[in-house]
Amino acid sequence: MYTTIVETKNVCKTFGLNGVAVEAVRGIDLTVNAGEFVALVGPSGSGKSSLLYLVGAMDSPTSGEVLFEGHDLAKLRDGPRTDLRAKKIGFIFQTFNLLPTLNAFENVEIAMRLGGMGRSERQSRAAELLERVGLSERAKHQSRHLSGGERQRVAIARALGNRPSLLLADEPTGNLDSKTSTGILELLRAICSEDGQTVIMVTHDFRAASYADRVMVMRDGRIRGETKLQAGQDTTQAMEKLLKLEFQ
Amino acid sequence: MIDIAIKNLGTRKVRTVLCALAVLAGVFLMGVTLVMNDWMYGTMTAELAKYLGKIYVQQGESTYPPFDSTMSQNTAAAILERTDLGLNLAESTSLIFVRTERGMMPFMSAEKMVIGVPAGREAILIGNVTADSGLDHFAAGEHGNVAILGETSAEGFNAEVGQDIVINGTEVRVIGILEKSSMDSVNIAAIMPMETVQRIFAKQGQVSSVLLTPQDVRETAEVAVRLEQDYPAFGVATQDDMLAEAEQVMKMPLMYMSSMGVTGMIVAMIVIMSTMFMTVTERTREFGTLRALGARQRIVVSTVLIEALILALIGVPPAMGLVYLMSKAMETTPPDAVKLVLIVLFTVVAAMVGAAYPAWRAARVEPLEALRYE
Repeated sequence: MYTTIVETKNVCKTFGLNGVAVEAVRGIDLTVNAGEFVALVGPSGSGKSSLLYLVGAMDSPTSGEVLFEGHDLAKLRDGPRTDLRAKKIGFIFQTFNLLPTLNAFENVEIAMRLGGMGRSERQSRAAELLERVGLSERAKHQSRHLSGGERQRVAIARALGNRPSLLLADEPTGNLDSKTSTGILELLRAICSEDGQTVIMVTHDFRAASYADRVMVMRDGRIRGETKLQAGQDTTQAMEKLLKLEFQ
Repeated sequence: MIDIAIKNLGTRKVRTVLCALAVLAGVFLMGVTLVMNDWMYGTMTAELAKYLGKIYVQQGESTYPPFDSTMSQNTAAAILERTDLGLNLAESTSLIFVRTERGMMPFMSAEKMVIGVPAGREAILIGNVTADSGLDHFAAGEHGNVAILGETSAEGFNAEVGQDIVINGTEVRVIGILEKSSMDSVNIAAIMPMETVQRIFAKQGQVSSVLLTPQDVRETAEVAVRLEQDYPAFGVATQDDMLAEAEQVMKMPLMYMSSMGVTGMIVAMIVIMSTMFMTVTERTREFGTLRALGARQRIVVSTVLIEALILALIGVPPAMGLVYLMSKAMETTPPDAVKLVLIVLFTVVAAMVGAAYPAWRAARVEPLEALRYE
C-alpha cells in the first residue's frame, strides 16, 4: 500500500500548435496521497487537463518526472502503461465516453474485462457498482437511453471496476445541470470518504471544487495556490481566496 | 471481444448487409468458377477417357474433334489394311466430322455436329451406348439419308424416331435416338453413314481421320511412333496427346474463369476494407476510450479484425447455397469439402487483408487524441 499515489517533479508539457510551441504545463510539483480528494481548478487553457492526462499515463511529459506509486511513467512502454491504466487508474470524462453499442451493465463490465478480471467476478462487481451509483434498475438500458447524469454515474461505476488506486475525473459535471452535478459530486465525495478512494478532479467550477479535501488553482500551466478544506466547515472564505488567485 | 463486434455490426445494419452481400457475390463467383472449371475439365477428361488405347490419325495440327482435318479415303483405307502394325482392325474405322453449329462458349468446339461412320462400324464410335428409341446401328451397307441422333442432338432438333430433319438442306430420316453418352461429342452429334455425309456435304472421297485400336493397349505408344514414321504428312494422336492438346486449348478459358473468381474476391476484399475504414474513422473516439480504459493495441486490432471476419463469414453460407443450386442446375458436382474449406480460407484471408490497414489505424489511435476528438 503506497501512501503517495502520485508525485510530479518539475513536470513540463509542451505542445506544438500550428508550428507554435505551447507550454501547457510548466514545472509543476504535485503530491497526492492515498485517500485524498484533490481538485484542480482553473480557467480553460490553464493546463489542468494536460496535467491530469500526464498523471493518468495517457500522455508523456516533455520534461520532469511523473511517479505513480513510485514508478516513473515516462520509462514505461505502451503495453505496461496501458496495463497501468486498466488496473490502477479509473477515468471519468466530461463527455462520459460510454461505448454506444453497450448497455449500462456492459459498459461497467468492459473496464474489468480489459483489466483481466474473471467473468463471474466482474459480473457481480458490475451489479454491485451499479447499485452503488443507484442505477441497478437501468442496468440493461443502452447508453443512449440514459440521461446525462445517469451516463456519468455509469462512467463512475466503470472507473471503479478494477478497484483503481487513483480515480481521475475531467470536468465530470461539465455537461450536467446543477442539480445533477450536485448528485455526481456527492457521489464522488462519498466514494472518497467511505471507500478511501483517491480522487483527482479537474474543474473550472469552484462550487464543484468545494467537495474536495484540497483545492489547487492553476493558471498558465502553473499551480498558483492551494488550500485544504475541512469537512463540515464553511469553505466560502477559502474559496474566495483561491478565486482571487485565479485572476491575479 | 466477439460480442462487442457483433453488437457494433448490429448497430450498422445497412452497412453490414451491403458488405455481406458484396462478400456473398465474391464467394459465389469463386464457387461458381470452381464448379465451372471442374465441369469443363471433367467433361473433357470424360470425353477423352473413351480414347484409352485408341489412336487417331488425322491432319497435322488438328484438334479433337478434327473438323479441320481432311485426308483422302484411299489413304484411310490403306491404313486400315495394315496388318503389320498389330492393330485390331475390327475395332478400327475411318470417320468424318462436320461442324454444323459453333459452340456458344470459347471452350466448346461445336454446339451441333455430324459424324459419318461406315455402316456396321457405329459401335466403335458410340461404344456401349444403346438406343433410347429406334435403332443404335445402321443396316448393312446403308448409304441413305438416315441418322441416329445423340441425346442432346435429338433435343436440339426436337425430333423423334421416324421424323425427318434437315441437315445442310437435305431431309434426313431419324432412325434412332441414343441414350445419354459420357462422350459429349456423341451426345451433340447426328451420326450418319459415311457415304451420306460425304454426299450431303460434298466431301466425296474425303474423311477426317482414322480411329485405330491396337491389339494390345500397352503397345499404343509404340504403334503411334510407327504410324508417325510411316505417315509423316499426318498427325498421330493418342489419348495422352489429345489430353495435352485439350488442356492447352482449355488453358485460356480456365484462366479466364479463375480470374473472374479471383476478381470477385478482390472486390469483396476492397468492400471489406472500405467498410472497416469507414467504421474505424467513425469510431475513433470509441477506440480512444478503449485505449484510455486499458485496451492494449492488440485488443483494438482484434476487435476490428473480428468484425471484418464476421462480415466476411456472414456471406459464405448463402453464397455456398447458391453455388450448390447452380451446380445442381448445371448437373455438375458441387464443390467438395476440400474446396469448401479452401473457399472459406480464401474468404478469411481476404477479410484479414482487407481489414489489416483499418485495424492498424484503429490501434494507432492515442487515448488522448480520441478524448479530444469532436
